[in-house]
Amino acid sequence: MPDDQSFDLAGCLDRVRKRDQIAARELVEHLHPLVIRIVRAHLPRRVSEEDLAQDIFLKMFTRIDQYQGSVPFTHWVSRIAVTTCIDQLRAQKRRPELRWADLSERETDVLDSVITNENDVAPDDALAARELVGKLLDQLKPEDRLVIQYLDLEQKSVAEISQLTGWNQTLVKVRAFRARRKLQRFYRDLIEKEKP
Amino acid sequence: MSPHEKSWQRLVEAARKARPSGDESAPYGFSTRVAALAFEHSRPAPSFGRLAFRAAGVACLLALVAVGLNYSAITGAFEDDSAVAATDDPVSEVVNLGS
Repeated sequence: MPDDQSFDLAGCLDRVRKRDQIAARELVEHLHPLVIRIVRAHLPRRVSEEDLAQDIFLKMFTRIDQYQGSVPFTHWVSRIAVTTCIDQLRAQKRRPELRWADLSERETDVLDSVITNENDVAPDDALAARELVGKLLDQLKPEDRLVIQYLDLEQKSVAEISQLTGWNQTLVKVRAFRARRKLQRFYRDLIEKEKP
Repeated sequence: MSPHEKSWQRLVEAARKARPSGDESAPYGFSTRVAALAFEHSRPAPSFGRLAFRAAGVACLLALVAVGLNYSAITGAFEDDSAVAATDDPVSEVVNLGS
């Protein structure tokens, strides 16, 4: 785990810079949970999470001599991971419009439930709700998707998002405002125009 | 807050309850593969000096092989030259005539 206090990150980085392969393996294993969480949260369609994680680690090793220590190493790696995911999402370009027919039966049940009931969604339907939110987020631009993912789903603060992405806090707030507005429009269209 | 906003909030709250999927530790062999690829990619390019040194070594080796292969021809050429010098030297001919 990246928060593991017993791991000697500074020593490991020194050894990696001296091209110690064992240290490189230890660093990958130490950082994998952090990287894979980011990958899973922003995984583009039809891209293997292992391939994307590998790309992120290779970029990290290529640029490791550029790390000056001005930010914690985990933040520096997070920025590489986030940028790589955004680049992958951008490469896909097409952001499909979500239609009611694209939703699974479980997802339509969840949506009906949140529209009509004041009660919470059943715990069993949490995964369907997550997939439905993911499909709605897929319609946003990659940067907008990322901001909503962090703010609304992972409940990170603006300051935390700023650290993870390298964007300043004003930019995060502006992106969040615009992304929410777009998302509300997509959501309203799905319910008002698409719902049979 | 509009009804749509309220329902969106309920949807997001439900989505947050979904447990993160899958094991977060690196799959077997992943770190070894990545470390090997990383060092393969980042192997430093040989410098000009090192390349020149290697080229000089190869050139010396080729020169030695060439001399080895043509040794008999080279020594033979020297012997022929001394024979020619002994017979065709005008000075020696004059000396011989005088004696």
